[in-house]
Amino acid sequence: MTGTSRYSIWLTAHAVAVYLFLYVPILLLVGLSFNRSPLSAIWTGFTFDWYAKLFSDSEMIAAAQRSLFVAAAATVSATILGTAAAMGLARPAAPAKQTTAGLLYLPIVIPEIVLGCALLTFFSVTRWELSIWTVTLAHITFSVSYVAVVVRARLAGFDQSLKEAAMDLGAGPWGAFCRVTLPLILPGVIAAALLVFTVSIDDYVITSFVAGADSTTLPLKIASMVKTGLTPEVNAVSTLLLGLTMMLVLTAQRLLRGRPVRK
Amino acid sequence: MNAEKQRSRENAERVISSISGHFSSCLSLLLRFSAFIFLPFLAVGCAKKSEPAPKLNIYTWSEYLPDSVVKDFEQRTGIAVTVDTYDSNETLQAKLASGVAGYDLVCPSDYIIQPFIRQQLIMPLDKSRLPNLANVDPNFLNQRFDPGNQYSIPYLWGTTGLGYNKKVITDPVDSWDILFDPKYSGRILMLDDMRECFAVALKRLGKSINETDPAVLRQAADMLRVQHALVRAYDSENYDKTLESGDVVLAHGWNGQLAKVVSEKPDTFAYVLPKEGGTIWMDNLCIPATAKNPAAAYQFMNFIMEPQPNAAIVNGVSYASPNTAAKPYIDPKILGDRNIYPTADMLKGWEFLDDVGKTSRQINDLWTEIKGQ
Repeated sequence: MTGTSRYSIWLTAHAVAVYLFLYVPILLLVGLSFNRSPLSAIWTGFTFDWYAKLFSDSEMIAAAQRSLFVAAAATVSATILGTAAAMGLARPAAPAKQTTAGLLYLPIVIPEIVLGCALLTFFSVTRWELSIWTVTLAHITFSVSYVAVVVRARLAGFDQSLKEAAMDLGAGPWGAFCRVTLPLILPGVIAAALLVFTVSIDDYVITSFVAGADSTTLPLKIASMVKTGLTPEVNAVSTLLLGLTMMLVLTAQRLLRGRPVRK
Repeated sequence: MNAEKQRSRENAERVISSISGHFSSCLSLLLRFSAFIFLPFLAVGCAKKSEPAPKLNIYTWSEYLPDSVVKDFEQRTGIAVTVDTYDSNETLQAKLASGVAGYDLVCPSDYIIQPFIRQQLIMPLDKSRLPNLANVDPNFLNQRFDPGNQYSIPYLWGTTGLGYNKKVITDPVDSWDILFDPKYSGRILMLDDMRECFAVALKRLGKSINETDPAVLRQAADMLRVQHALVRAYDSENYDKTLESGDVVLAHGWNGQLAKVVSEKPDTFAYVLPKEGGTIWMDNLCIPATAKNPAAAYQFMNFIMEPQPNAAIVNGVSYASPNTAAKPYIDPKILGDRNIYPTADMLKGWEFLDDVGKTSRQINDLWTEIKGQ
């Protein structure tokens, strides 16, 4: 009895330590966004000034809008493409399965800086002017792999006979996909989409290579502010983004839980 | 949909259709699909882009060009301006070297201009289109990094000096020597920048910051090697915050950020230009060789050299401008701040960093030795 309780105390302490490690920096950032002092990490009083300043800083707002646009576009595109790829690879008759899967995973393994360099070279050789579209395309490129990995894992536990049964009962391929396969793999697809959104919205390395005129995203903007001095305005914009991302995750969880299980 | 977007979409589709296999039709369908979904979003987000007006794409440092100046320019000329920001001269160099960046106006620092000229990344300027250059103090023109200002015009400038905590250091500070005083061991911060650190040592030796004699450079390196034991950190990014938090009491750094710390707490902190001299830096406006709208870039350059817009920049970012005509419109608090606008007397012995060619290799090796010991 004492053995178990000592064990559980340690376990709890460890868990608390891990969560503190994960969340204290974030809580500090949120807290400091309400700090009056423009420079220090020393608390000098509560203020909403940085939020007011943020909303009148058109460069920062524009950067946040671009980041959201790119992340949304990359999420939708990469989720569709990646899910399709995972489905294709799940077919028993898929040709050259190992090679195709391997190639698909490569962008996750390749160092970001190499991928960024390669993409910039590609755009440079094809004389494709850097813009928000090259940024979006670059994000889709590395995101498709993440989606494929996550959805493939979900499909691994998927009973193909369910789809066959649906088709035996008269559903076409599209009908079977929409009414049987997709609902069953949906948690995986949504998890993948959320992953892509978060990876895309904070990507710095690859974006810094392929961004051109009118495409400074939020991470690029924040990095460029380091030279002239970061202010709590950055904490404020990070807090808002954090709130937005958390809302997205909660909504997704809500949607998934609220789904009635079809018989 | 305007021609611009139409073109970029066609461009996108062209490249994508060149990718072989059955992915191409699928991808282009997707692209159409996402364009359809996101175009309204884009139109809302960047409403000013949808006017068929000429465009000017500026690429500069962050917090370096106030919104109000850009708006005034847009109103006067009808040219739509976009402003993107970078974090280092090297980032800018990489972008320009790609040849597809699409910027019309950039703002590189002094030492990187020569490499830009050699790599043909920027175009020679037609100064007949810049009559307001007459407003600029001749002391800032015709520097060694761009003789005759053939490629660049001065934008803003500053110094690399010494910030210190007056509460701890009660002796008068007027020399770089204090950065080598064992009394302050562990409470000294130096910029993580080899040329700036060598400039300090060379000035203590009474030499130019652009010295190329290997023996003198070795002497300077020996001095920095001894200092290494006293230095708490080499840091080019948070030196202002580290000084302000009290972790160090002496910080070698650029005046802009240190001036902010001083103006925040003038009783605790001070900034000095040591009597031996040091580095002056200047950022400059240039037109990239690949600019699509050089005419708009010329208009903008000429515009910001007018007295009032120039003063608006200084008042907005608190850096010194080399523009003489702007002075009457500059906030007297900024103009009177000797940390931002030092007098000519204070700047005796102060130099711009030159591109030292092959010598930079030797400095780099010495610097690696110093930091690696």
